[in-house]
Amino acid sequence: MLIRCIRCEKLKLKHSILWLACLGIPVIPAIMGTFNYMGNLETLTPGWANLWTQETLFYANFFYAPLIGLCCAYLWRLEHRNHNWNTLMSAPVPAWAIILSKLAVILRTLILIQIWVGVLFLVSGKCIGVENRFPVETLGWLLRGTLAGAVIGALQLFLSMVIRSFALPIILALLGSIGSIYAAAKGIGLFFPYSLMMLGMNSNHAENMLEGQLAVFLASSVGMLLLFYLLSVLYLKKTDVKA
Amino acid sequence: MTGVIRQLQAERYKAKRRHSWAVVTALCLFLLLWSAFNFRNADSRELAQGYSTLFYQLPLFNTILLPLGLSVIASRLCDWEIKGNTLKLLCTLQRKGAFYDCKLLIGLGYLFVIALAETVSIAGIGILFRFTQTLEIHMLFLHFLQVFAAGTAIYLLQQTLSLLCENQLAPLGVGLAGSFIGLFSLYFPTQVSRLILWSYFCQFTPLAMDWDRASREISFYPTAFPLGLFLGFLAVIIGMYALGKFLFLRKEI
Repeated sequence: MLIRCIRCEKLKLKHSILWLACLGIPVIPAIMGTFNYMGNLETLTPGWANLWTQETLFYANFFYAPLIGLCCAYLWRLEHRNHNWNTLMSAPVPAWAIILSKLAVILRTLILIQIWVGVLFLVSGKCIGVENRFPVETLGWLLRGTLAGAVIGALQLFLSMVIRSFALPIILALLGSIGSIYAAAKGIGLFFPYSLMMLGMNSNHAENMLEGQLAVFLASSVGMLLLFYLLSVLYLKKTDVKA
Repeated sequence: MTGVIRQLQAERYKAKRRHSWAVVTALCLFLLLWSAFNFRNADSRELAQGYSTLFYQLPLFNTILLPLGLSVIASRLCDWEIKGNTLKLLCTLQRKGAFYDCKLLIGLGYLFVIALAETVSIAGIGILFRFTQTLEIHMLFLHFLQVFAAGTAIYLLQQTLSLLCENQLAPLGVGLAGSFIGLFSLYFPTQVSRLILWSYFCQFTPLAMDWDRASREISFYPTAFPLGLFLGFLAVIIGMYALGKFLFLRKEI
């Protein structure tokens, strides 16, 4: 059943221009972050670590969550149109499978985005001739970012399901991202979903921001992922639809 | 005249319960809290240049928030007809050009409130945190003008895209990318950043910043208001309006 649901979600994405946003938006920080890095070489210590912070600082802090929000809103778009909620709720498909299939598609998109971010980072570094070996820990940061992205994805899927508007959940994601800076500054970043991205991606420090806190990060991420998933399933089961 | 008022009234009815005011309130509150947050532990030196700090920082916050915020407002106001496929019927009752103008006026009304709320909140934050710097009224006026002018250009682009695209993914994607490009362009030389539409929330601020590396202190000094650039930008807005309306009039419905 789940496989069939995932296939169905993938079908909905066919011929959509979502891939353009997912591939195009990460190119902006890669190009501009690289130019910014080159323009500030007298203040920055040259190397991969500082190139990483320049490329991912604004991306992870402000724009990654709205991008995930855009993908999630798109996945619920069809249900919110033309009385499709009635069709969906009368289909012999359990609520858990509907949500899980959407989450699976989001996760696949996130993995592709993260691979793309990694490729852009490597290519930009090689193009401007950054010396030293490529930092392998970057792969870990990308992986942590994927997990953080999955948490935000689960939350945004819930918001996009509850809010019938396509656009409102995206602005909520941007406001959440800005709020994440405050949460991280107050030391509660590990328990605020939107802050997980900045911490996971290690976007504003050259050193590992989760030194000694990786277990808390993982537990918090998995816990929130389950919480938002169950919340979505429960809402879909208990609340009557407005078609 | 009655016709215009009636058409505007119809747009207002359509905007009812669309939560556009919630977006405006959220944006204003966020800008207010973000600005105020920076002054919670301000020392006497920071209070002595409090208004300058706000006039310098708020345009940066606007560059991050407003492009996406305005794209959401434009999408909320325009997807009504797209979703319901009512344009065909509507355009038998109303001129297409007037429809475009009414939508624009309603959207600019929201922008006006955002710009006004932001301008008033500058004075409010100054009183709340007891800034020792004197507030110059012409700076408040210029700030309002900057937010409204740059916002109008962005809103025109977003409204046109929202009306032209069947799928609101594209306009919102442009809004998100615009926030991103606008923010990054500020780190580029002025000649380059002036080519980017989304950077104009910061282009007219008549202030410059000086950062002293040794003492790690920031100070602001006044610069001349770029009147020529502003007039040129107004001409661009008029061009964008004409082009947007032309494209919408040509749209097959």
